Amino acid sequence: MGNLVELDNVHFARGERLIYEGLTLHIPRGKITGVLGPSGCGKTTLLRFIGGQLIAEKGSVHFAGKNMAKLSRRELYETRKRMSMLFQSGALFAELTVAENVAFPLREHTKLPDNIIQTIVKMKLESVGLRGAGQLMPSELSGGMARRAALARSIALDPEMVMYDEPFAGQDPISMGVLVKLIDELNKTLGLTSIVVSHDVKEVMSIADHLIVMANKKVVGQGTPQELRDSGSELVRQFLKGEADGPVPFHLPATAYHQDLLGELS
Amino acid sequence: MTTRTMELLVGIFAAAAIAAVLFLALQVANTSDTTRGDTYTLIAKFDNIGGLKVRSPVKVGGVVVGRVSAIRLEGEYYEPVVEMKISSRYNRFPETSTASVLTSGIIGEQYIGLEPGFIDEYVQILGDGGEVINTNSAMVLENLIGQFLFSQGDN
Amino acid sequence: MSVLHALGRQVIKTVQGIGQATIMLAQAIIGKPQPRKSFPLLIRQLYVVGVQSMLIIIISGLFIGMVLGLQGYTILVDFGAEQALGPMVALSLLRELGPVVTALLFAGRAGSALTAEIGLMRATEQLSSLEMMAVDPLRRVVAPRFWAGVISMPLLALMFNAVGIYGGFMVGVEWLGVDDGAFWSVMQASVSWQDDIMNGVIKSLVFAVVVTWIALFKGYTATPTSPGISAATTQTVVYSSLAVLGLDFILTAIMFG
Repeated sequence: MGNLVELDNVHFARGERLIYEGLTLHIPRGKITGVLGPSGCGKTTLLRFIGGQLIAEKGSVHFAGKNMAKLSRRELYETRKRMSMLFQSGALFAELTVAENVAFPLREHTKLPDNIIQTIVKMKLESVGLRGAGQLMPSELSGGMARRAALARSIALDPEMVMYDEPFAGQDPISMGVLVKLIDELNKTLGLTSIVVSHDVKEVMSIADHLIVMANKKVVGQGTPQELRDSGSELVRQFLKGEADGPVPFHLPATAYHQDLLGELS
Repeated sequence: MTTRTMELLVGIFAAAAIAAVLFLALQVANTSDTTRGDTYTLIAKFDNIGGLKVRSPVKVGGVVVGRVSAIRLEGEYYEPVVEMKISSRYNRFPETSTASVLTSGIIGEQYIGLEPGFIDEYVQILGDGGEVINTNSAMVLENLIGQFLFSQGDN
Repeated sequence: MSVLHALGRQVIKTVQGIGQATIMLAQAIIGKPQPRKSFPLLIRQLYVVGVQSMLIIIISGLFIGMVLGLQGYTILVDFGAEQALGPMVALSLLRELGPVVTALLFAGRAGSALTAEIGLMRATEQLSSLEMMAVDPLRRVVAPRFWAGVISMPLLALMFNAVGIYGGFMVGVEWLGVDDGAFWSVMQASVSWQDDIMNGVIKSLVFAVVVTWIALFKGYTATPTSPGISAATTQTVVYSSLAVLGLDFILTAIMFG
């Protein structure tokens, strides 16, 4: 099958803060890849790199063999039609109904007649179980439903790859279960490649075929869930088991505690 | 808000704007402005133009036929020269015509009063760039008072 | 020394900002027009930006015209020149108050709303989401709002002028008893289509570009947090107002100086 996405030795800094220091990873085609890591380690930023919204200072990002940094604006937009992204907030357009939101990419990128677009919209909404919500406005949806509606929109153009940015964050157990099932089902039935960025270890482990663990500006572990569980890396084990202290320290780096407290006296 | 209502309201917006333009054009602005359309230029030299300004009207018997387009000093003795744009509809001013700097009312604006002169076979009609030779300068209040006092002194 | 440093930093920041804003606007409005897609978007924004500002503009215009009528009358009547009320009201409105007050009201009503809306679209990832759907947010979101602002403001200013002159007429003629015929005829004699009305429209067009541009840029570059958006909204109103008043002086000096 090969790899759909490859990152090679990517360096990136936001202002003074270094985000990546030599990030190297690959996303296998046709599988669900989970990207795990502590908050703030740049998981979401990774998706922006794959989507070509950010350009690496050093290193390269390839999607389907194309170097994203070398594409012209038009080629970049063409390439983006082959992928889609589910944002954390759903990012539905507030002024359009749910059905019009799903129809949006179709109207933008195809010349299909309206009745066919309506049919496709119904099919996409049905696949996420929201056909009954087509005429609602996004503000009338719960968080979980908004995410499902956004999912329907992101698969409207039948992309090759869907990127999920924290799809489980802030969801109740039922909608979490629904989303896990949807991601898994859609990946199989539509033959997608999925990237799930999350820190919900249990949910991601249950569906992912391939796992990437990020920490300290690098990839610290890559492989199947089983391989990672057996991994020798302390860091990976700490994260997968959710221990408070370990290689990722509980305390932020600071001066010695007693010195900080007594500093003014001495 | 359906698309149709929105279109309707935008239509009303546009209609209101058109109504405003019509109102301004027909009721507020001087639409019988003779200086629009084709014009030709006449010049006139004065000793004193008083408060005459660029865009001051040029009138014949109170009817506006043009506007002052430029004012400058010319020649060795710095003579004020006034350039006027006159509507091409009124293109038969003979060279015997007279231009005077006049005032509308006591404190009103100043304008040029153009008086067509006689025409006979030796008199030519002024063309583009022609000069009105006979001119009467503006009355300056101080000079008038001076003259008045002087004449009083004589008596 | 530190004052000079701070000044230098400020200058560099300002120039950078102007550069970024120019690039943003250029990317938004330069390109092949797609009438089929952009026309409905434009209509929608004309509604939001233009129609929704109409009421405040008309009411303000009416009151300002009425105040001009009242104030002008009390001044002019002392000189026995109350017949000059017509041109006074009309010229004040057409040359200055119409374009300027419309621009200030527009900045407060529509400009702040544009900034907040685009800032929120950034905060809720709608702009990123458009980019990922291979739709350029500059063409899709910024451009129609820009054109709607540029089209609406001169139209609003014309309405403001018309209503204001009518307000002056109501107070001057209907209430204070200035002669009806003199009011209009003296006005007509001194208002020129080219020099007064069109210059006012040109002023208004310049203000429209500047205010809409500032509003869009502030929204597009707002920090996507609640304090960030609220600061951007305030900046839109403050910067637009200052820009309008400053430009008004320059334009007046060029046109009527």
